[in-house]
Amino acid sequence: MIITKKRDFKELMGNIKNYKSFFLLGCSECATLCGTGGDPEIKSMKEALEAEGKNVTGSFVAKTGCQVLGTKVELKPFKDAISESDCILVMSCGAGTQTTVELFEDKPVYPTNDSMFLGNMTRMQIFDERCSLCGKCILDKTGGICPITACPKGLLNGPCGGTNDGKCEIGPEIECAWVRIYNRLKRIDKLEDIKNTAEPKDWSAHKKPMSLSAREKKSS
Amino acid sequence: MSFRNNLESGAFVVTAEIGPPKGTDIKDMLHHAKMLKGKLDAVNVTDNQSAVMRICSLAISKLLLDMGHEPILQMTCRDRNRIGLQSDLLGASVLGIKNVLCMTGDHPNAGDHKEAKPVYDVESVQLLGIVDSLNKGTDMMGNEMKGGTDFFQGAVVTPESNPIEPQLMKFEKKVSAGALFFQTQAIYDIKKFTDFMKFAKSFPVKILAGIVLLKSAGMANYMNKFVPGINVPQDLIDEIKNAGKENALDAGINIAARHIRQLRDDKICDGVHIMAIGAEDKVPLVMERAGLL
Ligand code: SF4
Ligand code: SF4
Repeated sequence: MIITKKRDFKELMGNIKNYKSFFLLGCSECATLCGTGGDPEIKSMKEALEAEGKNVTGSFVAKTGCQVLGTKVELKPFKDAISESDCILVMSCGAGTQTTVELFEDKPVYPTNDSMFLGNMTRMQIFDERCSLCGKCILDKTGGICPITACPKGLLNGPCGGTNDGKCEIGPEIECAWVRIYNRLKRIDKLEDIKNTAEPKDWSAHKKPMSLSAREKKSS
Repeated sequence: MSFRNNLESGAFVVTAEIGPPKGTDIKDMLHHAKMLKGKLDAVNVTDNQSAVMRICSLAISKLLLDMGHEPILQMTCRDRNRIGLQSDLLGASVLGIKNVLCMTGDHPNAGDHKEAKPVYDVESVQLLGIVDSLNKGTDMMGNEMKGGTDFFQGAVVTPESNPIEPQLMKFEKKVSAGALFFQTQAIYDIKKFTDFMKFAKSFPVKILAGIVLLKSAGMANYMNKFVPGINVPQDLIDEIKNAGKENALDAGINIAARHIRQLRDDKICDGVHIMAIGAEDKVPLVMERAGLL
């Protein structure tokens, strides 16, 4: 999922200081799991805004904020509350924020969160980055551990000289991705997977902006 | 005779390191370079070492070349993508630089621009492959070039890395990618290094042992604690301690000289790379005591 983090409230207030009334839009998927855009967070955002003398015209937690058409349909009943507001505060990830920009072309839209990374929730409210969306997955060659993400240098051919008793040169809180990969492949007797030199990565598979159609092509 | 020829002829070679300064005042650096002139087979020029921004290694390599040194251009993958790296390599070649040391490079997190975007478009093994293509007259994509390069390319290895197996796997990859010589991370345990050399000798490459001059017991303890792959044995630390504060550096010079002598006399490796880290003026003394001058 997309891991989000609440923005500092003061920073947020600085961004929206010229507006008086707000519509709040959360998301029931990742942002809810991250505790940045579910019902409880909407409630406390409303209270915090009101304590600053602001007015909240309405709020809603979208089912999937990055699903543009679905969100558009869901927001129909809130037409009035949205038009009464000076601006919309989106409490999801950057993609959810841009759904709202697309749906309300004439309205200012502000994110309340920073979008951090694509990762897993490993324990309650603990998130670890797992994938950098590189466009050409190599997990099949690295024992299912992603060096592009888990190694701060994104190395493809083994550990750098900074690897230190299984820890990363960046700091002891990070496990060296290449020691993990090596140990896992050794355990499952697949070390030959990393014996050959990995060529420089083809980053053209990640040319921005990316776009993809998963629709079946009609056979003619 | 060039660094390459000396190594290939089987001579015991000596290299040292010059770190380009931060800022344009190069007086001290030139002074050290003058002291080392005529004494070394080649001199490494570091590339924004420890991710601290300084003068580029290419410019200083050229200056040293003009002074009569033979530079080894250190190149890291931290700050340039594959286009920048190849372009700088071609530039180095037309400036007359013959040797290049291919490294991945310390993460910006270690340096004085922690907010920098790290590049690492390619890494050490792949950079060696890139140099190999340029030497063969094409760029890394296989595009013909008007004139290729003629580099003698090397790499680094940490013989006391823990765990060692992934490090040795990477060493082998560097050899197959075209590394012709290696300069190692600092070694202090000659017996352990000899074991590493038993492995390394099965490959057609030259190995220069890394000698970092110990300046105090505190420095040794610090490196043991914070520098990955460096293990200074307790008896060496005691030797420096027992020498007393005033003579600590002198004891460090003796240790370095003794190790170099042993590596050469017992034909353990093909040469040494002396890193004096701030005490460059002591390199000639180390060499003298090692019987190299
Ligand atoms: S290799 Fe890593 S970054 Fe690329 S798609 Fe797979 S998991 Fe994601
Ligand atoms: S120590 Fe390991 S994880 Fe950290 S940068 Fe080096 S190879 Fe990558």
